[in-house]
Amino acid sequence: MKKVYWLLLFLPLLNWADGPGAPKPAYSADFATSIQPFFAKNCYSCHSAKLKTGGLNLEAYVNAASIAQEPERFEKILQRLKAGEMPPKTVPRPDAEELKLATDGIREELDRAYQAAKPASPRVLARRLNRTEYNNTVRDLLGIDSKPARDFPQDDSAYGFDNVAQALSVSPTLMEKYLATAERVAREALFGPTLKTETVVFLPPVPRRMEFTNRLRVEPAAYYSMHDYDQTGLSHPGSFHLKYRFPADGEYVIRVVGAGFRPNGSDPGRMDLWFDGKLAQSFTVEVNVEQSGFERRPDHWDLRLRVPAGYHEIVVAYPKQYHGLPTAFGGPEPSKTAYDPCKILGNGAGRCSANDFNLPEETEPERIERRRQQIERLKEDELHPRFEGMAVSEVNIIGPSDFKTGPSPESVRKIYTCSAVNGRYTAACERQIVSNLASRAYRRPVTYQGIEELLTIAAGARKRRGSFEEGLSLVIASMLASPNFLFRVDKERPAAEAAQQAGQYELASRLSYFLWSSIPDQELLREAGKGTLRRPDVLEAQVRRMLADSNAQALVESFAGQWLETRRLESVQPDRERYPDFDDYLRESISKETELFFQYVMQKDQPVLDFIDGQYTFLNERLASHYGILGVTGTEFRRVDLTGTGRSGILTQASVLTVSSYGNRTSPVLRGKWVLENILNAPPPPPPANVPSLNEDAVGATASLRQQIEEHRKNAVCASCHARMDPLGFGLENYDAVGAWRTLDGKFPIDSSGVLPNGRTFQGAAELKTILKEQQEAFAEGLTEKLLIYALGRSIEREERAEVRRIVARTATDNYKFSSLILGIVNSALFQMNAAYER
Amino acid sequence: MIVMQKRLSRRTFLRGVGVTVALPWLDAMVPAFAAPADINPPIRLVFAYVPNGMIMDEWKPKTVGKNFEFPRILKPLEPFREDMLVLTGLAHRNGEIAPGDHAAASATYLTGVAPKRTTGADVLLGISADQVAALAIGSKTRLASLELGCEASPSVGSCDGGFGCAYVNNLSWRNATTPIAPETNPRVVFERLYGGLDTDPDPKVRARLGENRKSMLDYIMNQTERLAGTLGPSDRRKIDEYLTSLRDIEKRIARMESENQRELTPNMEKPLGVPNGFVEHARLMNDLLRVALQADLTRIGTLIYARESSSRAYPELGFTDAHHPLTHHRNREELIEKVKKIECHHAEQFAHLVKNLKAAKEGDGSLLDHSMVVYGSSMSDPNRHVHEDAPCVLLGRGDGSIKPGRHIIYPETPQTNLRLALLERMGVHAEKLGDSTGKLDGLTDL
Repeated sequence: MKKVYWLLLFLPLLNWADGPGAPKPAYSADFATSIQPFFAKNCYSCHSAKLKTGGLNLEAYVNAASIAQEPERFEKILQRLKAGEMPPKTVPRPDAEELKLATDGIREELDRAYQAAKPASPRVLARRLNRTEYNNTVRDLLGIDSKPARDFPQDDSAYGFDNVAQALSVSPTLMEKYLATAERVAREALFGPTLKTETVVFLPPVPRRMEFTNRLRVEPAAYYSMHDYDQTGLSHPGSFHLKYRFPADGEYVIRVVGAGFRPNGSDPGRMDLWFDGKLAQSFTVEVNVEQSGFERRPDHWDLRLRVPAGYHEIVVAYPKQYHGLPTAFGGPEPSKTAYDPCKILGNGAGRCSANDFNLPEETEPERIERRRQQIERLKEDELHPRFEGMAVSEVNIIGPSDFKTGPSPESVRKIYTCSAVNGRYTAACERQIVSNLASRAYRRPVTYQGIEELLTIAAGARKRRGSFEEGLSLVIASMLASPNFLFRVDKERPAAEAAQQAGQYELASRLSYFLWSSIPDQELLREAGKGTLRRPDVLEAQVRRMLADSNAQALVESFAGQWLETRRLESVQPDRERYPDFDDYLRESISKETELFFQYVMQKDQPVLDFIDGQYTFLNERLASHYGILGVTGTEFRRVDLTGTGRSGILTQASVLTVSSYGNRTSPVLRGKWVLENILNAPPPPPPANVPSLNEDAVGATASLRQQIEEHRKNAVCASCHARMDPLGFGLENYDAVGAWRTLDGKFPIDSSGVLPNGRTFQGAAELKTILKEQQEAFAEGLTEKLLIYALGRSIEREERAEVRRIVARTATDNYKFSSLILGIVNSALFQMNAAYER
Repeated sequence: MIVMQKRLSRRTFLRGVGVTVALPWLDAMVPAFAAPADINPPIRLVFAYVPNGMIMDEWKPKTVGKNFEFPRILKPLEPFREDMLVLTGLAHRNGEIAPGDHAAASATYLTGVAPKRTTGADVLLGISADQVAALAIGSKTRLASLELGCEASPSVGSCDGGFGCAYVNNLSWRNATTPIAPETNPRVVFERLYGGLDTDPDPKVRARLGENRKSMLDYIMNQTERLAGTLGPSDRRKIDEYLTSLRDIEKRIARMESENQRELTPNMEKPLGVPNGFVEHARLMNDLLRVALQADLTRIGTLIYARESSSRAYPELGFTDAHHPLTHHRNREELIEKVKKIECHHAEQFAHLVKNLKAAKEGDGSLLDHSMVVYGSSMSDPNRHVHEDAPCVLLGRGDGSIKPGRHIIYPETPQTNLRLALLERMGVHAEKLGDSTGKLDGLTDL
């Protein structure tokens, strides 16, 4: 019974797979002529019945059937042969042609075996929406963009993605959230958000003191090292930026609470407040010395403005921290303001000289002593003024006031397909609105009876409260909590004992949740309704349209963010002492770079091989300066040609380099593992027990990191995997744990050369990438498999890899273009079919 | 009107904490919270967890019985000497799985079951002790159990030695395949406990909302049952989960309606999100757990101060080394010293919880008197991944069923035996849990 599925899989139901361009094996190998002789010539010297080196006796395999019996072992053999890890570099390389014949032969035998096999794991079709999908779905269904699922419990992930059906469960907590959120979202869509004036407080991510050491005396050179490059001042010390979703059109007060210290005798400082990339106001910050001179007195500055609802960016910066300081500091544009002892002793009623050590009226010895110490420190300040810098201690957003609440225009447009806000109730109109919403929410037409049920709910609510909107609100809430909304199930073709094509509406949902993480739009539903969605020309046109749509940003954020692991950037904490440059602006910039890169490959339909060595990237000034690339000014990201910079593709992007490092140092092992998993599609097995870890303290002190790792690799158990991982990581050692270029690690010069298990050597990242690019097929297979996991919400079984290879082979003939990969997936049986259900 | 809210860190905000408060879903069903039917204070059960083992030399008292001298790491708990048992010799042998000792450590802690090695969706473990209790007596309270954490789990990346993150992130397992994720956002916990505070006071409005919600629930229930009927077996399992959760909520609503009602205001301020530092985070979670137990919103809690194999750094201690790497200290004194500092730091946070429980008056004693609070880690020596002789203390008197104030050394015994002994004191009679071999005795003896 299960076999039916697998036979169907390879039926020529997909026209492109059998079209003129379909790849055919160049030869037909057979075990006796090409595989066995190859083993005999190249492998038997170790892997014989007698020696069984590594527990492998190749003499035991006498015909093609023996390959089929041990697919796992032969996959491994294949991998090592192809990677050139076997035969070892100590024996002569096999003849290239013979090698190809043998590996292709094994591949073919394996694929043949898989065709006859059955799926190994149960395949769940009912997939609950994950948080991202829920958010996007209510956005597209009701025009609500407040990301209501953000408070849902975190979705579990499996196989590297958080949209895997089996891993997504429904706990009672989540159920509660579903019900509460359904109601809240429905009300927001119909009546607007519930608002009251509130103060939201934002704090800088790290305690301010970590940036400005108290009583720090800055070396004069440091004043000039501060660039003037970034016009918004985002990278200036003490600056702070935030993004906030203003809940409604209205008036808000942005309050900056400042802290910090400018020495007595400084000119007043300047604080700039930027709103959405424009300078909104400059504030003059008086020299902030309190009576004692030792305590900071927080002060605040307000900007009141009208803000339209939605996300806005606020930056507070002190662009000229080091200007206007007393001459003693040697900074730029030294102060014209004189030292003013009265300012310090302002409350000291007339005692305006620090030299006046006048006894206060009180005579308690403690007070006298305190006074004496105070004066001492003032004198010290006068002689050696101290500088602490100014910073933001918090930003408050107070509001909204003077706001109007009500449904957003977007919500109105999406809901009122008939009538209008506060429109008159008519039965016909209500029916039209409800059936439109229901078919979109459930992603398929809803039966007459189904609509009746919803109308009954509305009628009940109308009876209790009387308003048309109250009725609609309860209908929407009920739909949002319904399993037909929360789960994706193919209702047109309920699970059967045999595999079959997915229904048209199901196909529309698969497409939209794959590329948009959201519901199908009207156009997709229309094609599904006509029954034309599966037509190759229609399907291709739809996929291209969808990839060009702004909703495809979901593929960038959800897929790329998990594939490249860059989602972790939000939580990585590079050691601030070692990487003082790594502020939140840089964090966001490096994340943006990779996003834009993926987006470019997707939208410009570039070859996916660009991920390995595309000679371009996207930089703003901050990131360009982090990379040491000149000529990029301003905060805007733009495409930058990387020729000659040593960087290319994603491997040398700071995002990837950072997530594959520890907080306090690089890790060639982690990076090697990252490359094996994401570029070479050959993930290493987990490490064995009780592996001694590196001597962290010694790194960079008594031995270089590289020397230490090489020491580690002398352990034979470790060597087998680390010989594959570590060299890949060594190739990237010129990039530190946050992706900046370096030539020294501590006091040791960087050695970025490496020897791969097949004996090939390289020098640095660029040469490494040249070698990696030769493995383009492996890379494309890995990427395809990950896209499939993401698209199907389940693991890809070994037997299904044959289908993966078919997709890749086809894509290869189209220069590995991004769209051809996506089309290959969308057209594959894996995507188009419903599996037979399992008992 | 300007409502000053508590501070919200920027990072928290980026994670998406807003300012509008969700209306408590269940609140409209009943005007106020249900009172416990029992007159006698019930027994509460808490498991508080810290990761990465312990430096046992400075945890284990040198002498047995009463009047032992408090070792350095236990020192923060000294004020509770008379409320505390130190239990030595308890083991989690099923955690001896390499590689992946850390994943196995957290997995076995409350289940006693060796986890199935997988990074996929096919996780397989066993029911955890707290959930055995929740199944048996959870229906008596608003929440069957409360799972709290102080460290968010990573959403991507693998966890330990080929084990999925589910084993590391969760201590509570409802059954062999369903972990219960701890909630790390104090605000979300608060809302779970109390709902928002802006529920409509007008009983008529509440009644109307209640009617609306009933019709909504009826519709959903109907849809679910119909949908389930059309599905194949593997899909059905997914929808069944949904159905179970839905029924759970229906039952709770029914229960609340049938019980007496009383006014209840939370005696803590509503937190606004995940705070910046560990200490503040732990304090909030301690408070939330305490108020939940005190108000009898639940009787069963787990609190994970940090996840197993956590690489959290504690800059408040004056160094920024990550915890897990530090514990592989290779017997170097300066590293061990830092580990000890972290362990003392953890114990201090736990001591705050105990202090709160003791300060809460209840009946003729304190909340602590009616509680059984286990604190410990799943491994002893993390440097070598030793799962026997795990650090374990038990605070509270279990309503007189425990005689604290002693250090007891057991010949090696599965820690699941302790779990069963505690369950029994709550009136939950379980005979077997993971690798248990019986019920631990000696807790009541003098």
